[in-house]
Amino acid sequence: MSSFKEFKIKWGMAIDLDKCTGCGACMVACQAENNIAPQPDASNKLKSLNWLVVYELTNGKPFPEHEVAYLPRPCMQCGKPSCVSVCPVIATDKNEEGGIVSQVYPRCIGCRYCMASCPYHARYFNWFDPTWPEGMDKTLTPDVSVRPRGVVEKCSFCHHRFMQAKDKARVEGRDPNALNDGDYVTSCTEACPNGAIVFGDVNNPAHKVHDLVKGKYAFRLLERLGTDPQVYYISRREWVRRLGDNYLENEKVKG
Amino acid sequence: MALDRRGFLKFIGGATAGILATPVVWKSLDDVSIWTQNWSWIPRNIDGANSYVPTVSKLCPSGVGVRVRLVDGRPVRVLTNNDHPLGGGLSSIAAAEVQLLYSPSRMKRPLKRTADGAYVGITWEEAETMLVEGLKKAKGGDKLAVITGDETGTINELFTALAAEMGSKSCFLMPGEAQPAAKAWELMGGEGQVGYDIEKSDYVLAIGANVLETWGPVIRNRRAFKAGRPHGETPSVRFAYAGPVQNNTAAGADVWLPIRPGAETVLALGLANLLIKAGASSPAADFADFKALAAKFTPEQVAAQTGVDAKRLAAVAQELAKAKRPLVIAGSEFGQGGGAAPVLAGLALNALLGSMNREGGIRALPYARKVVPAAMDRKALLQNDLVGWLGKVASGKAAAPQAIVFYEANPVYALPQTDAMKATLAKVPFKVAFTSFLDETAMACDLVLPVPMGLERFDDVDTPYGSGQVVYALAVPALAPLVDARPAGDVVIGIAKKLGADLGVAAFADALKAKAEARGASFTEPSATNAHVSSAVLPVNGIALRADVLSKAIDVKAPAFPVALAPVAKLNVGTSKTATPPFNTKTVRRWEIQGADLYVMMNGATAAKLGLQKHDRIELSNPAGKFTARVNLFEGVINDTVAVPAGHGHTAFDEFSKGKGENVMRLLAAGAEPGTGLSVWNSAGVNIAKA
Amino acid sequence: MEDRQLNSSGCGTDGGKCCGGGITPFLVGLVVSLIFGWWVFPDMIYSKKEQPIRFSHKVHMEGAGMECKQCHVLREDGTFAGLPSTASCADCHSDVMGSDPEEARFVNEYVKTGKEVKWLVYQIQPDNVFFSHAAHSLDGCNQCHEFKESELCAQCHPDVANSDSAPTHFENKLTGYSKQTMKMWQCERCHANENHYGVTSSSNACFVCHK
Repeated sequence: MSSFKEFKIKWGMAIDLDKCTGCGACMVACQAENNIAPQPDASNKLKSLNWLVVYELTNGKPFPEHEVAYLPRPCMQCGKPSCVSVCPVIATDKNEEGGIVSQVYPRCIGCRYCMASCPYHARYFNWFDPTWPEGMDKTLTPDVSVRPRGVVEKCSFCHHRFMQAKDKARVEGRDPNALNDGDYVTSCTEACPNGAIVFGDVNNPAHKVHDLVKGKYAFRLLERLGTDPQVYYISRREWVRRLGDNYLENEKVKG
Repeated sequence: MALDRRGFLKFIGGATAGILATPVVWKSLDDVSIWTQNWSWIPRNIDGANSYVPTVSKLCPSGVGVRVRLVDGRPVRVLTNNDHPLGGGLSSIAAAEVQLLYSPSRMKRPLKRTADGAYVGITWEEAETMLVEGLKKAKGGDKLAVITGDETGTINELFTALAAEMGSKSCFLMPGEAQPAAKAWELMGGEGQVGYDIEKSDYVLAIGANVLETWGPVIRNRRAFKAGRPHGETPSVRFAYAGPVQNNTAAGADVWLPIRPGAETVLALGLANLLIKAGASSPAADFADFKALAAKFTPEQVAAQTGVDAKRLAAVAQELAKAKRPLVIAGSEFGQGGGAAPVLAGLALNALLGSMNREGGIRALPYARKVVPAAMDRKALLQNDLVGWLGKVASGKAAAPQAIVFYEANPVYALPQTDAMKATLAKVPFKVAFTSFLDETAMACDLVLPVPMGLERFDDVDTPYGSGQVVYALAVPALAPLVDARPAGDVVIGIAKKLGADLGVAAFADALKAKAEARGASFTEPSATNAHVSSAVLPVNGIALRADVLSKAIDVKAPAFPVALAPVAKLNVGTSKTATPPFNTKTVRRWEIQGADLYVMMNGATAAKLGLQKHDRIELSNPAGKFTARVNLFEGVINDTVAVPAGHGHTAFDEFSKGKGENVMRLLAAGAEPGTGLSVWNSAGVNIAKA
Repeated sequence: MEDRQLNSSGCGTDGGKCCGGGITPFLVGLVVSLIFGWWVFPDMIYSKKEQPIRFSHKVHMEGAGMECKQCHVLREDGTFAGLPSTASCADCHSDVMGSDPEEARFVNEYVKTGKEVKWLVYQIQPDNVFFSHAAHSLDGCNQCHEFKESELCAQCHPDVANSDSAPTHFENKLTGYSKQTMKMWQCERCHANENHYGVTSSSNACFVCHK
């Protein structure tokens, strides 16, 4: 396997699962921001396309000991992304400062190797051409290209907002490579009324997320696969952290 | 020179070699590949200059403050407005409010129903003539009724003033949390509107009230939740939730107290019992009565009646007593039909905790003075009980009106015992709907008038119930109406004139200006919010705990059904006015809706008792109605209870919601709350049989 | 039988004069296709369009002493406005200023009616391309180069600073893009140039240019 790049800036999330109540505002804000087409029937979750999905977690205990939690799952922007190494046409890559895994749609041939390799099910295939109810396509943003049938897409951490934040910094005479905390946040981060998502540069001590990901209760999904995700989760509840990976029954969970 | 076969082949060979040495093949291949990247049916990005309009969502019941992003004047996003007193995030409805402007169910022109039941488009002039003619027949003696779905707007003053000019007081709000609360506060002798200062509280106990999903200005509630819970740290503000289902509020709360549906009052009295035992008291004149009442609700008694775990109850009582600024918020887990007793009991708890008229506690907020002289003010409007009145009309105890006007209300879908209510409304000879969407109620009307959507009109949100302070937020149009819609306020003023009445305002904008002034707000300067906050509060003196009312209200017969019914409200499926918005179908959980099937939830023990397994098809029935659904096992439901997701089963709207699932409101039978007379429908039961 | 013999021997004796033999048909084919491929085809695939108004950049730059960025502005939020609107042209051309009939036509047909000019753009990129004008600044490039503003712009755009009329717009009949539209390899002249790395913030990462 090829070696993976290290970056000075590493955009990441710290999602506090104890603060998420599963309302779904992030999923809606994501679709509107990234020009994802609505689906009249989304019963079939294998064929419904949403870059960010909120999963329901259960502690598995019967009533009244039952607990519920919700887990928003964007693309993990892995440090060692398995999708990148399997792509035969380099449509997806991790090569830009910031560490966001890119996906170039016109380059994608729709082979879906990346979908098979992604352990987080973060990638989606366009089984159909995207369609909007009449006139609704006028509300598309100019920031994200619309993807046709036959290509794979995924969360980009609202990469266009990164570019816009850098341009704003340039115009204002600030260093585009030293954005302040909050200059660039994703649509879901901004939309969440519970503040469950904190977004920023994991490598920058001036960013809140920097300390959060080092916290006692911070963990990543399937950490032991070695994918090195840039999305961290936080929960004070042991059972929630335990669901983050395949632990043996007697194995101790971090935190 | 003749060309033979071999010569021709040589020519072709030469031509081929030559062509390969020119750009023809390579350029064509390249162009074709570019051509395939730009199919004509794939929409293209349209660039332009960004602009932002701060406003407030009239579409979402949370009244969330937002910023609309426009690109060259074309709205593309609703964004968070952190400066807004009701902002701080987005609700799942407001997040795609811009996209709803192009909803397939959007009303595009006035419609009238023809004799054969079909709807045909008419002009506004024809529509207004028809409206005037229809209303003329409803003059005098409560022959006109108004039902409005807007709890916070000045628009209600115009509709109620029109009704008053026509000699009618039959004006009603759609059921919500505000009405029972107003009743409870009035019974206690409180002045103004009861307010909840969640922001400054350090312990919030929600009894029934779905404070993190549907209760009050929920985005503002959730901002307080966010502030009290730093990432990954022990929360500085604890939240506890009591209700039958582990809903979104329970998911965020530190403690969930499972109680049976409709058991909120008893739970509150159980807590009062423990608090009084621990030394809590109140200066209220009737404290002794209350103490005597509470004494009956020992933990054992409460555990038996509500199903709550006595230990958990005691723990919550202790936490409440220990907290510096505790706040109890009581209501209905699905936002309506809970009656005044739970709110009354909840407010009594606040009194015991010393939370009356205190930071982080209960506040009495002044109502704004009315700005349309003949109008009903908010307090008066809140006193009218729509469900009770329709019940009387159905049974002949009240005369059916000659005409009824619906403003942004969908009672045909959203009222309890829906089937009966629909039949009652059908008796009214002339029905008019002012609406943005062709909903179930519009489909039952003779005349349907399109109103601009919230993002296309001036409107206001005045201190929604639940707010801890006076907030006046102006809705400002981000764009001109995309359809042939007219602002309802101006239409009403014009109609009144044609009926010979002067409402005292020349235009709706004047009414808004006057209301803003009444709230001490002026919007002359450009603002990042278009909202005004005031710290005005009323004194809270001589509050009574009303044990007399409570003791009557809790004296209800246990439902004679094997399984209790708990509707579960979530904003992601929209409101009765929007149905499920296009972008929200993906947020509906897998085992909530599958195709046309609704999934209902029960815990494993309940299912085993009923002999049911996941995915089994069942029929839920009671005298109010019946429907079939499938079983989903969810352990976050109290025993012997079926939790039914609300907001499905639309028979109007579009492919994003129509015909999906069932409408739980059909199973809710309304009764009268003893002691207050308010309509209640939060303790229904059902029979369950395999279908 | 006889015919065939005659034919086959005939060819041999005629020494390439017969059409079936020799290299001539091949050469003819080669030349024809080369002419077609290099001269006819490139012309054939484009339709020619002229700008709706003959616009002289020269008059504005030399005559009025303006700079590119005065009309092609970067907005405050860092986005690029591209072409000026009629309203911003009207800041000066509220009325006819000179003697050029094209200017008079512009003032009468557009300024006075408030219509926008449908300028033809030579460099429109597909939706999947993100280009930041703010990032391609004189400050960045002139750390090593010595570009004038118009020279920097001309690295990608047609050099119009000294022209009295805008060049003809060649529109590809199949793709709809202008002939001058930059291809990725042209971007890579700088983006893949390792001498730039570390000096400017340029890189050749996919997401630097794609969206």
